[in-house]
Amino acid sequence: MKSRTIMKKVVSTAIVSIMTLSLAACGGSPSSEGGEAKSEDDGKSVTLEFQQWWGPEMPEGTLKEICDDFTKESGIGIELLSNPYADTKTQVAAGAAAGTMADVVGLDGSWVYDFAKQGSIANLTELMEDDGYDDSQLSAQIQFEGNTYMIPVVNFAYPMYANMDILKAAGVTELPATREDFVKACEAIKAYDSSIAGFAIPLSTESPNGIQNQVMTWLWASGDSMLESGKPNLSGNKELEEVVDFVKELFDKDLIAAGSYSMVESDMVEEFTNGRVAFMIDGVSHLTMIKDGNPELDFAYTTVPVKSGYSGTVGMEAANWGIGIAENCEHKKEALQFVEYLLSPEVNAKMAALANAFPGNTKAEPDYSKSDELFVEAYELYQQCETINEFTGLPTSEDLMRSFEEQLQLYLDGDTASVSEMLEETQKLWEPAFE
Amino acid sequence: MAKINTSVRPVKMKRNTCRRLITPYIYLLPTIVLMLVLLIIPIIMVIRYSFYDNVIINKNPVFVGLENYTKVLTDTAFHVAVKNTLFFVFVSIIAHFLIGMVFAMLLNTRYLGNAVKGIFRVVYALPWMFTASVIAISWRVMLNPNGVLNYLLMNSHLIGEKLEWLSSRDFALITVTVINIWSGYPFYMISILAGLQGISTDLYEASALDGANAVQTFFRITIPQLKPILISLLMLDFVWTLQQFALIWMTTGGGPINATETISTYIYKQGFSKYQYSMASTGATILLVVCTVIGIFYVRQQKARD
Amino acid sequence: MIGKKKIWVQALIVVLLIIGAVWAGFPVVWMILNSFKPNAEIFAWPPVWISESFSFHAYKEIFTNPEQVRFFMNSYLITGVVVILTLLIGILASYAFSRFDFAGKNVINTIIVSVQAVPPITLLIPYLSLVVTIKLYNTYWALILTYMVFTLPYAVLMTTGYFNTLPRELDEAVMIDGGSRLRALWNVLVPTSIPGLVSVGMYTFMQAYNEYLFALALTKTNDMRTVPVGINLLMGQHAYEWNQMMAMSVLGSLPILLLFLFFQKYFIAGMTAGSVKN
Repeated sequence: MKSRTIMKKVVSTAIVSIMTLSLAACGGSPSSEGGEAKSEDDGKSVTLEFQQWWGPEMPEGTLKEICDDFTKESGIGIELLSNPYADTKTQVAAGAAAGTMADVVGLDGSWVYDFAKQGSIANLTELMEDDGYDDSQLSAQIQFEGNTYMIPVVNFAYPMYANMDILKAAGVTELPATREDFVKACEAIKAYDSSIAGFAIPLSTESPNGIQNQVMTWLWASGDSMLESGKPNLSGNKELEEVVDFVKELFDKDLIAAGSYSMVESDMVEEFTNGRVAFMIDGVSHLTMIKDGNPELDFAYTTVPVKSGYSGTVGMEAANWGIGIAENCEHKKEALQFVEYLLSPEVNAKMAALANAFPGNTKAEPDYSKSDELFVEAYELYQQCETINEFTGLPTSEDLMRSFEEQLQLYLDGDTASVSEMLEETQKLWEPAFE
Repeated sequence: MAKINTSVRPVKMKRNTCRRLITPYIYLLPTIVLMLVLLIIPIIMVIRYSFYDNVIINKNPVFVGLENYTKVLTDTAFHVAVKNTLFFVFVSIIAHFLIGMVFAMLLNTRYLGNAVKGIFRVVYALPWMFTASVIAISWRVMLNPNGVLNYLLMNSHLIGEKLEWLSSRDFALITVTVINIWSGYPFYMISILAGLQGISTDLYEASALDGANAVQTFFRITIPQLKPILISLLMLDFVWTLQQFALIWMTTGGGPINATETISTYIYKQGFSKYQYSMASTGATILLVVCTVIGIFYVRQQKARD
Repeated sequence: MIGKKKIWVQALIVVLLIIGAVWAGFPVVWMILNSFKPNAEIFAWPPVWISESFSFHAYKEIFTNPEQVRFFMNSYLITGVVVILTLLIGILASYAFSRFDFAGKNVINTIIVSVQAVPPITLLIPYLSLVVTIKLYNTYWALILTYMVFTLPYAVLMTTGYFNTLPRELDEAVMIDGGSRLRALWNVLVPTSIPGLVSVGMYTFMQAYNEYLFALALTKTNDMRTVPVGINLLMGQHAYEWNQMMAMSVLGSLPILLLFLFFQKYFIAGMTAGSVKN
């Protein structure tokens, strides 16, 4: 009986306090909403929602400062909706389906085709023409059926990281320039310490980016392609066969870090940071994190080794933070104004420096003097290389990577007899997406 | 007192017949409105999608009848998913049941003091307190080839080399199932524990008088007495495990290749990676039909008991 | 002789209990240890047990970040309202199921059971469109109503079970004395089945507190987000805050642990009384 009265008290206290809380919350939110609506009415000012995963990746508060400067300049308010990459993707995809996409959205090149086809992102070519914007200063434009739907704001290069301590200890004096050198270097490392892997390829099915960043990048480095006039060209592609067999060689010789099939990018970076992997291909943007995690680590950047005999310009994979405008945006003109602002030389240079990235405006001259020496080194490499990423703008590109990945694993495990068979099968899986 | 009641009731009843007819619906109204608007409508929308060609991506979807069903049901990837799902569900359920039962029996033993039992009760309930994504991340960290589990096993010479728990095609499904077992058994344990408190001591005393040993008592008294809740638990667990998504997706993503592909990851890939919402809806509707059949059995079984 | 046997049994039970405790507790202990380490050490080989740079840094980071504190406030607020409303509505519905016979009772009952079986992920897209249509997108109510829909079926089934175990004479006595049905329900049935209601409330709490997918999809701005979404926020594209993530998980489960400790007695006794027929 006594405990029952206690219970009653607890329950009633809980009810009262929750009611008060919820009242406070209900009282709080409408008033703030009301405030916004008011300012829209009397000042004719517009507030744009800007959804992206960039805010958390840049030094705290810097993206907000950049947006606040824009508001000062133009009177257009910017509300930042920041989430991690994966969550942004889920939200943008759900928003595309339900029509709740934010006015201006951060885009990844691999999403563009599907959202453009779905009609949920706006045709930027039209908007830029109406506005008379000079698009020749843009480093790239991602198109769908001849029209631009996404503009890269900043670019991230994917060079090769090399752990110099391990290389020195294993007697590897020169950074490998060709695939053959690379295999030899990895073998030397294995001979030195079998617990250290030469290379790592994250092949988790959850996020199949490893195909793009750690497999196809070998093909692109030597100036080769997996496409032919925008259509898949896997079956019978000799250059690609060589790359796949090169990857298989690394696996067969046990030079790849363990756990590849469930490894994601973050696992790979932690392996490298802890000195258990000698080489990895990864975005320069992880530089700060690796330095923070292991300040003693001595590493260097190099380009991805090429096929023997290749003397052309080396390709370097680039990923980007792209920007687009939602079709359901009611203030497209203002939205474009904001996009142009982010891509104007000064602002773009500032963003690139803050994000440890390279600018999307060719006229931008970022000030990397405060950046790490290694970063400057990477920037120089980047400028010498041809940037490439063939997955950008392809239909359902994540799914393409995933089916390539599954076929690759079957070949690596010996379930598929030959590389040509594997590529033929993958070609079959890719083709329906391009119809 | 009771006598007076029965004599008065008919008079009151008559006056209130009409009200009595409507009253239950008034009590049910909030529940019905909420479920109708927020659950039944979306479910009907999903079922409708499954009869159209690619909805959402296509501006004007076309009715295609059962075409999507033929596609899904003849898809070899779906067959693999069904096979894996069955393994995942049945092994999970059986293990949940056994572990839950053993732990509940241990915690119910008269050989231990209440304080000790209290501590272990909390420790054993721990896995229940974490959300699926956290469980997935912590287990990933532990099961990393360079993780603590391999370290412990190697140092105690149980394994010779680092095992790839999640990335081996042979182990992945078992590993994911074990993680699911870890996260799900406390539900059984607590429920069975509660059931055990409800069994009358007279029954045990009678059994002891008959000269039955502990094992005989367990099978003759404990199990039959617990049967009603065990059936409810198994039914609910079946439905819940069938839907398990986050845990699988965040540990293996359905891979390597398709080693841990289940119906839920299959549906997710269709919807959010291939953007084939119609196919995803079809998969969902198939799952819904299966679960509804289970649901009907569940209600029948519940009713039979009343 | 008997004493000796008892000791053996006791020893066996203790050994089993300890094995069980390792199985149940080790992953949690490891998570707690990790929350005190710097990020890189979490992946060190050989593993670091207690870090030399042991620190509460990760916890401090969370408590000093108003955004993350807000996640906790949101979670408590939403979960609290869900628990109260689910119980209220569930009690009313259960009362109807338990004390009346009416047309459609079986059908409604079957539907309530079988909708539990719908995988939430498949509902996401149509559900989101619906929430946008009724203008609840990015509000607390979107999440509150969603979680109520997910927890109500279980709550109704269980509470009906508890009410069924109570004799009808109990509430009829109140009505004879001139009380209304509501009074009978509120003053007699509810207080008598408090243990059962506590167990339903706990379950509701866990479901609502731990939900991730809808919490992400139905809200837009960070001031509406809950703890599970906040935990995922720590996995950036270019930075992974493993220790903070572990710390937030530990903090996130604390209220559930406290509730469990507080209500343990009721919980253990009440969890299944509804489904056990007396």
